Amino acid sequence: MTTELVTPGDVIGKASELKAGKGAYVNDTTIYASLTGTRRIVSPLPESLDQRAIVEVTGHKAHALIPEPGSVVIGRVTKVMARMASVDILCVGSKAVYEKFPGIIRQQDVRATEIDKVDMHLSYHAGDIVRAMVLSLGDARAYYLSTAKNELGVVSAESAAGETMVPISWTEMQCPLSGQTEQRKVAKVGS
Amino acid sequence: MEYVNPEGLRLDGRRFNEMRQIVAEIGVVSKADGSAVFEMGNTKVIAAVYGPREIQNKSLQKNNDHALVLCEYSMAHFSTGDRRRQKNDRRSTELSLVIRQTMEACILTELMPHSQIDIFLQVLQADGGTRSACINAATLALADAGIPMRDLAVSCSAGYLNSTPLLDLNYVEDSAGGADVTVGVLPKLDKVTLLQMDAKLPMETFETVFALATEGCKAIAERIREVLEENTKQLEYRRAA
Repeated sequence: MTTELVTPGDVIGKASELKAGKGAYVNDTTIYASLTGTRRIVSPLPESLDQRAIVEVTGHKAHALIPEPGSVVIGRVTKVMARMASVDILCVGSKAVYEKFPGIIRQQDVRATEIDKVDMHLSYHAGDIVRAMVLSLGDARAYYLSTAKNELGVVSAESAAGETMVPISWTEMQCPLSGQTEQRKVAKVGS
Repeated sequence: MEYVNPEGLRLDGRRFNEMRQIVAEIGVVSKADGSAVFEMGNTKVIAAVYGPREIQNKSLQKNNDHALVLCEYSMAHFSTGDRRRQKNDRRSTELSLVIRQTMEACILTELMPHSQIDIFLQVLQADGGTRSACINAATLALADAGIPMRDLAVSCSAGYLNSTPLLDLNYVEDSAGGADVTVGVLPKLDKVTLLQMDAKLPMETFETVFALATEGCKAIAERIREVLEENTKQLEYRRAA
């Protein structure tokens, strides 16, 4: 694997032979680097139609970490309203973001079935930690998130008594201290 | 006054096509995502970049699918001989706008929608060519922050005194009343992103002065590239250890 140090603007390949990956961009027929780092060639996935190898530049700074459509994020619910819940996005993938991003989960994106019968207050409470997927960049104020999958939803919540609850089913969590069950859209953890 | 003596030496002993000494260092502000100090002779500038991060003032956002680039240029009160400057004077506002436009053209803003990149520039010592030093410092700070860019935006100034084109004017030469041409280029892509001039020049003279400034830009680009590569090697060495 040949590696060399490149800086922004350096020519790292031809668009006819290679595809531009992370840290690279195409102008006309040439691929240039957009970050400072090491140039690497990654072989293409066997099932992809385009069999060109991908050239990418790995930088040293971890950020430019922002939610992208399709990425799984972890956030804290800040407000629950009649038709949506506000979420502060805290992590993208497995990395924490430097500054919080605002997100909302709309009533129709809470779960996959019977989406018009969803009661937001039986799905989330303020303070719950949720795992969600980014649907889109949303409007000017917040990202649109969805928990309409088995592995998405509330991962950690505090009961009225103040203890972290244990999940019982995909709709209920129980407080170990008081024995009270509370309703949430629970995420399925584990295989 | 004689700015170029008969032997071809300027007031500080340089020849017409010699730049001042460049000292550059990155990672100087640990809290910032990227930072750099850039010195051209006695002109010393510090740049700090924060971003990409959440947009703070949504009313400023014009284009949803591009990152918002904000730039603030300010001079420290002790940067010039006389303690000066009330905040937001016209020159600072103009330079903030000019530098912002230069850097915005260079950053791949379409890769970071819904976010904001802040570039803060502080002149610590002003001895001519502050806008060029600021652009060079901003480029280093953005590269240090890992923000994707088309190329390294570099800038240099050149002037025309005593019938000689002069590269990289200092404050005394700049105040002499001759023309001052500031050029900003993307060297590998061979594109001009900034071109400003004070005073008047005949067209052929302008072409010569512009060519000289562009040469200076290419030399600065080489230096910036060396600093980035050296810094990356240091990081890799420390990581492996």
